[in-house]
Amino acid sequence: MSDPRLGYPHLGLGVGLRTVHFDYILEHQPPVDWFEIISENFMDSRGRPRHVLTQIAERYPVVMHGVSLSIGSTDPLDFEYLKKLKGLACEIQPRWISDHVCWTGVAGRNTHDLLPMPLTEASLKHVVERIRVLQDYLERPFVLENPSTYVGFTGSTLSEWEFLARMAQEADCGLLLDVNNVYVSSVNHDFDPEEFIRSVPHERVVQFHLAGHTNLQTHLIDTHDGEVIDPVWKLYRLAHELTGGVSTLLEWDAKIPPFPVLHAEVLKARRHIGQELADVAMGGSGTVPESISQGRESPATSRDRLSGVPHPLHHLAAAVE
Amino acid sequence: MSTPDSKHDAPELGPLQRWFQAVITHGDGVEAGAAADEAQKLLGFKTGELDSVITRSRALTAAERLAIYANAYHTRLLECLGEVFPMLKRALGEDGFNSLAFGYLQEYPSRSYTLNELGRHFEGYLEQTRPALPDSASESVETQAPPDEASLSQDWPGFLIDLARLEWAIYEVFDGEGVEGKALLAADQVLSIPPARWAEARLKPVVCLRLVATQFPVNDYYTALRRASADDAIALPAAAPSFVALTRRNFIVRRYNLSRPEFELLKAFKSGRSVGEALDAVLSLPEVDLGTLPETLKLWFRNWTAEGFFETIQFDG
Repeated sequence: MSDPRLGYPHLGLGVGLRTVHFDYILEHQPPVDWFEIISENFMDSRGRPRHVLTQIAERYPVVMHGVSLSIGSTDPLDFEYLKKLKGLACEIQPRWISDHVCWTGVAGRNTHDLLPMPLTEASLKHVVERIRVLQDYLERPFVLENPSTYVGFTGSTLSEWEFLARMAQEADCGLLLDVNNVYVSSVNHDFDPEEFIRSVPHERVVQFHLAGHTNLQTHLIDTHDGEVIDPVWKLYRLAHELTGGVSTLLEWDAKIPPFPVLHAEVLKARRHIGQELADVAMGGSGTVPESISQGRESPATSRDRLSGVPHPLHHLAAAVE
Repeated sequence: MSTPDSKHDAPELGPLQRWFQAVITHGDGVEAGAAADEAQKLLGFKTGELDSVITRSRALTAAERLAIYANAYHTRLLECLGEVFPMLKRALGEDGFNSLAFGYLQEYPSRSYTLNELGRHFEGYLEQTRPALPDSASESVETQAPPDEASLSQDWPGFLIDLARLEWAIYEVFDGEGVEGKALLAADQVLSIPPARWAEARLKPVVCLRLVATQFPVNDYYTALRRASADDAIALPAAAPSFVALTRRNFIVRRYNLSRPEFELLKAFKSGRSVGEALDAVLSLPEVDLGTLPETLKLWFRNWTAEGFFETIQFDG
């Protein structure tokens, strides 16, 4: 690989595009560096979501982030899905396309969750072969994210960072390093998150994710429902230092705040990595908070304790009169 | 790293994934899922041997860790179905709706890459199961008629089916193909068709026009629920054949109550019949007053075109 980040650009500080913010973004055109969309929310849309996306993609850099690729499944790759994914990409020209190192279902079913892979040589071979097919079909390098996980398999023989490093190298793909997921999984699986960050191939990291999570005391759940906590910011600083800085995106999918609050949260990243991002971002500005608030893990509600719903929940409610 | 349990070889990826999915999606929880025939045939690990497949953490057993995925699976999909059928959820109450939706997911698990398809078979599931009126609903639902509980219980499945049909149609119209940005027919364009050409004139409805016929006036019920606060009890309507047209303007779904003749006429247009053929189809309906029909038709076409029901007129030949 000749270029860092597979040659993909450094977009600055972005946020995930969510339905509740459509009107605000169209009306105010906030100075956000870039948006990440959930691909499945727009692939089949012939209504307002697609209409809004078209307008946003004309004004901002956009990245497509999927949740249903199921690259690790032993079911065949779904070429109907891939055709639609490619079609959307042709239309909105995303800077890159990403998904997760996971499987979402098998035997024709979809659980709509990011299910964990056993970290074995056989799994690695399986995933690498499928990424190669995928990249050939999409005619571009693909980017894959480390998910939060809640179980480990006794049959695993590789660490997650070994798996990711070899996968990226052998498939010649990019990595989306979700720093919050590293933290969540490190608590759930009792590993050193810094070792994870230090061990992935930094030149292949195309993007970072940041998000909040919920602490259930016995484990953490990747709920995307709050501020980024300080230990995650600390990991982010390390990741920034090791990679030299890459596009950074904040995900917020539950208890979603007003857009300015969301934007301010990702802009906190500037204080953690210095001001140099302002120079690389495409016209990025916005108000940097005066002080960095102490991010706190979301308290677990009684509902969380019963269920604890990790994201994704990618679904659009209808607008009706 | 952990090493495979000496009692068992590491399972292959395919059977392991099918086992994992069977366990976390089982309706009675992960331990029942692990003990069920499907999981047993795949890997053969018994409940007490889950640690042979799934590692413990410092705080959680293998079963507790698997339960995180099981809880997330059901909670996420129930939440999604509740967003597709918000008024059905209000009518049933959260527990009543979730109980019904839980059964539905066991019968019709998602087979699509998109959650937008999750509710596609819900109306059919209700027709198939015809759920009884739950105790909680009979206590909370006020009825206009019928007043006796026996009659209400008898009609309850039909009411649920109707409401599910309306909500699914709304959902499809919202994100389906629309006509935003297109020029639509004006009233004068339709009313100026000379009667001599009705036999060859075909009105093409907009692609997003959907016609829904129900046994209960669920569109009025839907409106009443939207206007009510979350805690208000809304009377369950009495059964009465009802007709509604759905369309979309400026990306928002619009709902219009129709009379039966209006419904039949629009249905005839949607099926491709000419104006003359469509009129012939409704002339015999008892609700049609032939004496006032010309004026009534003008009124209908003015209302329908004002609401953007038609895209073009085509003439045969």
